[in-house]
Amino acid sequence: MRLWAVVALAAAPIGGCALVPQNRRAHFADPMMSLTPEPLDAARRQKLYDTREGAAGGNGATAGGGCGCQ
Amino acid sequence: MGAAVKARAASAVVVAFLAFCPRVRADGPSSPPPTPAMGDAQILSPIDNALHIESIMTRISGFDQFGHGWQAQGGPTPTAPGSERATILEPQAEIDATQGARLKHRIWVPVDIVSNASPHAIDVLSSASRHVESGSIDWAATYQASPVSDATILGGIHLENPFRSWQGGLAGSRAFADGDTVVSVDVLEVFDWFDRFDIHGTRHGRAERSSATASLGITQILTPTTIVNLNYGVTVQRGEMGNTWNSVPLATGERGPELLPDERVRHAVVARAAQFLPWNGALHVSHRFYADDWGLSAHSTEAELMQRISPFVYVGALYRFHTQTGVTFFTKLADPSAGLRTADSDLAPLDSQTVGGKVVVDVPAGPPIRTLHFEFGYDRYVRTNDLHINVVTCATGYRF
Repeated sequence: MRLWAVVALAAAPIGGCALVPQNRRAHFADPMMSLTPEPLDAARRQKLYDTREGAAGGNGATAGGGCGCQ
Repeated sequence: MGAAVKARAASAVVVAFLAFCPRVRADGPSSPPPTPAMGDAQILSPIDNALHIESIMTRISGFDQFGHGWQAQGGPTPTAPGSERATILEPQAEIDATQGARLKHRIWVPVDIVSNASPHAIDVLSSASRHVESGSIDWAATYQASPVSDATILGGIHLENPFRSWQGGLAGSRAFADGDTVVSVDVLEVFDWFDRFDIHGTRHGRAERSSATASLGITQILTPTTIVNLNYGVTVQRGEMGNTWNSVPLATGERGPELLPDERVRHAVVARAAQFLPWNGALHVSHRFYADDWGLSAHSTEAELMQRISPFVYVGALYRFHTQTGVTFFTKLADPSAGLRTADSDLAPLDSQTVGGKVVVDVPAGPPIRTLHFEFGYDRYVRTNDLHINVVTCATGYRF
């Protein structure tokens, strides 16, 4: 029962229930609020972590490619 | 004079004022001239399918690495850790372009110039660990199928002295609830081919590896100042999982080759949130949990605080903490008969911390450039098992 409640809550936005109307989303246009950082900055950080730690891959970034060290 | 007469007189004054007062126009002499209306030919003309460059970004980063690793040879004794000293220069360039109303292209060219890696090791015979110049070309084309959905084709090649890699993938996203919610999915396949060197530097043909990744994410606007994202991904790798020249100190006082499984399945879950702050700042927090079938699990927590100090300038400060358990067969002194063994310090139990800061400037400019972008940043990365890196990065860009 509790699981169904969670699923229903999670599915509510997909069903068309907007929590925040478009005219109240001005803050999301600020580059500081971007959930994905500037791609080149993100890439150099991600590569640093991927090649110095053993936990690469999984989240959209691949675990292969380059330096043969993974 | 009666009330009716008074009311009639007031009405006459109002009507007279409205009849003779000058017409007030919103577009007075101080307003900009109105935009000329589009003609029929412009509205009905075919869509221009030429390539229009939207932005060009360049970034150069320098990595100055110090430390030692158990997998590297060249220590004071055969079983002591060797140097991991390296300097790396990493230029990158990115071009975003549109083609017609529905198609977007992204071309990304990162280059790595690694010098001085493992300078004292026997594996210096392999040029891969002595001096590497590598480059990639990644291309993504996104087709806007409808106002709420898009599909992307990804492709790329990577060239390195003893290494070749190709990748291809598909991605898609769909928005729901007036853009409040976005669901995204992507799949990516990478094939690597590289020279197989033994720990004495002798080449034994080629090795290969494949990596397949699939991920599913959901992004949700929670409030006018809060946005969150949740992403799960799985990567399955098969083939030669090491670089083939990593070595392991043996109980016999010598060094032997690293022995790894030929498959690895990795899972990662990431939760991110961005919160706009009332004093014109933003806070980003994220947590990533990772686990794989080699027995390694990890938690990475990151927070970045950004503050706008003028309409064109903001500064940021970042802290990241990472902790991992290490793979089950990690060792600093292996039994020569062990079926699996690694001394790779990247696969050891470790904690790492990153502290960084950046200054970002976006200056409006005249046509055809809309914005000039400048960024300067510094990161310091410190690992508990004898590794630290100073990173300096600088970016410039143009948005048209």
